[in-house]
Amino acid sequence: MVSILGVGLGVASLLVVQTVMNGFGEEHRLRIRESFGDCVIVGQRPLEQPEKLLQTLRADSAVSSATSYAEGPALLRQGDYSAVAAVRGIEVGDLHQPARNYVVLGAFDDLDDGRVILGLGLARQLRVRVGDHVELWSPAMAERAEKGKAPLPADFEVCAILRTGFTEVDDRAALIPLRRFQALWNLGPRAHGLILRLKDPAKAPDTADRLSIGRSGLRFVPWQELKKNFLEAIRFEKTMLFFLMFIITLVASFSIGSTLFSAVIRRTREVGVLVAMGAQRWQIIALFGLQGWLIGALGILLGFILTWLILFFREGILGAINHTFGDGDMVANIYQFSKVPLHYDAHDFIIAAAFTLLVTTLAGLVPALWAARRKPSEAMRDV
Amino acid sequence: MSKLVLQARQLTKVFSSPSGPLEVLRGVDLEVAAGVSVSIRGASGSGKTTLLQLLGGLDVPDRGKVEVLDGDVMVSPARRLGKAQGFVFQNYQLMPELNALENVALAAKIAGKSDAQARQAAEELLQQVGLAERRTHLPAKLSGGECQRVALARALVNQPALLLADEPTGNLDERTAEEVMQLLLSLVAARGLALVLVTHSVEFASRTQQRYVLSGGVLVPA
Repeated sequence: MVSILGVGLGVASLLVVQTVMNGFGEEHRLRIRESFGDCVIVGQRPLEQPEKLLQTLRADSAVSSATSYAEGPALLRQGDYSAVAAVRGIEVGDLHQPARNYVVLGAFDDLDDGRVILGLGLARQLRVRVGDHVELWSPAMAERAEKGKAPLPADFEVCAILRTGFTEVDDRAALIPLRRFQALWNLGPRAHGLILRLKDPAKAPDTADRLSIGRSGLRFVPWQELKKNFLEAIRFEKTMLFFLMFIITLVASFSIGSTLFSAVIRRTREVGVLVAMGAQRWQIIALFGLQGWLIGALGILLGFILTWLILFFREGILGAINHTFGDGDMVANIYQFSKVPLHYDAHDFIIAAAFTLLVTTLAGLVPALWAARRKPSEAMRDV
Repeated sequence: MSKLVLQARQLTKVFSSPSGPLEVLRGVDLEVAAGVSVSIRGASGSGKTTLLQLLGGLDVPDRGKVEVLDGDVMVSPARRLGKAQGFVFQNYQLMPELNALENVALAAKIAGKSDAQARQAAEELLQQVGLAERRTHLPAKLSGGECQRVALARALVNQPALLLADEPTGNLDERTAEEVMQLLLSLVAARGLALVLVTHSVEFASRTQQRYVLSGGVLVPA
């Protein structure tokens, strides 16, 4: 029973870590894609005629939508409160705009030249709700002041508040129409870049390579390249954790081996009697090997159940840990997610189960081989 | 003369000890014909149990050869464990987790009988040794005499031609020992089995047809 529990805990720790790490990876990948697009096209300077390029790209079979954007920092102010925002000018009519999915208050479609959509954290910093007004100070206004002209802030009504769960976005994002951004930043008709959404995001590198042919002045950056180091770090972290958890499972397997070895030694006399009754060596090996296999199989089953339970109650468990150690909401603060993300990968489960079954069966077979090789006359003398 | 069921030639067994090699058996010869009972007596440590284990194939001699009858041919006893020869041990050697019926049936199952056949054979044997009513009892709930009767049933369940008994009454009181020995000898006689009985008891040895004493590593007729 203790052996089964040991295997179960080993399997559960391995799978919980893998599933959460998969979740982090998947969530990060999704956020990167939704925040930056499947493929971003930028140049050395703002794009002069983005509309013409957009039309060509929209006609490509691999592209599901293309939109232009511009972005830059600005100071937002409401009464005595102010905050630096990452303002992004977007095409209001873009039906594929992912921000639509994250609006929690107000309506995305209310966005127009006099309105702004704020991230939840930013709105809290400014103490504003839907319907309140904020002032926006762009860098172009500072240039105006340098030239001796009185800068006037732009006034926006908050029409919606969004919450992506990605703290970096929620605390800084301010969305305004591209046309208004171009005016406030003195961009004219130019845009800072284009965002492509692809029919198959996984093939973004190939599509980016193909689309970049003949467009040497532009850089096509697939989403996998946008935060390459970050994604590599997540992958490396997952590999390292798998290695550590693998050792835990190995330790559990050794404990099974020692338990089975003790069991075999305790039953040496009975093994001798079985041989005296005509039991074949392979039957003795199979008996104890099967015991190891059975412990492994039941341990895996228990591990799967424990994994599901731990992950189902993960928020409560994490809350208790945070409460005990007083570290605040680590997931939100460090990983920038509002809740622990999960991604069940059948591949991880199959590998963990196969490996555990192999090790526990071997752990049972080693003492079984020892027992089966003993002469029954010696075995029966042991008590 | 009846057919031989056991033939041992020049059996030698040497054990290592702190004081050097210890030759326990020094060229033992023994032949046992079908239906013949043989007793072997000897002092403690004289090698009686070692000899019985060699005869039964539970150990291998350093020199010499043992063969038991398997059908019409003589084979090494190690190849026919539990089939050509049955064992009765001093300490019964029953499986503690199995009840009387399961202990007897286990030997039949190992020999290749189906569950139903093994169960039927075990029930018949337990009936013959007078334990039909106690067949569902675990060894811990049985007396020493009852345990030895279960062990006797187990030794006979595969209908061997030879029964090897290692001090079967050594752990029993005088009255129970007498009961068990009577049962053992009557079953052996009724089935026409050959018996090799290792015992300290002169009285029990006297009931066998051939009597030997193991002394100085060799068998001497008593």
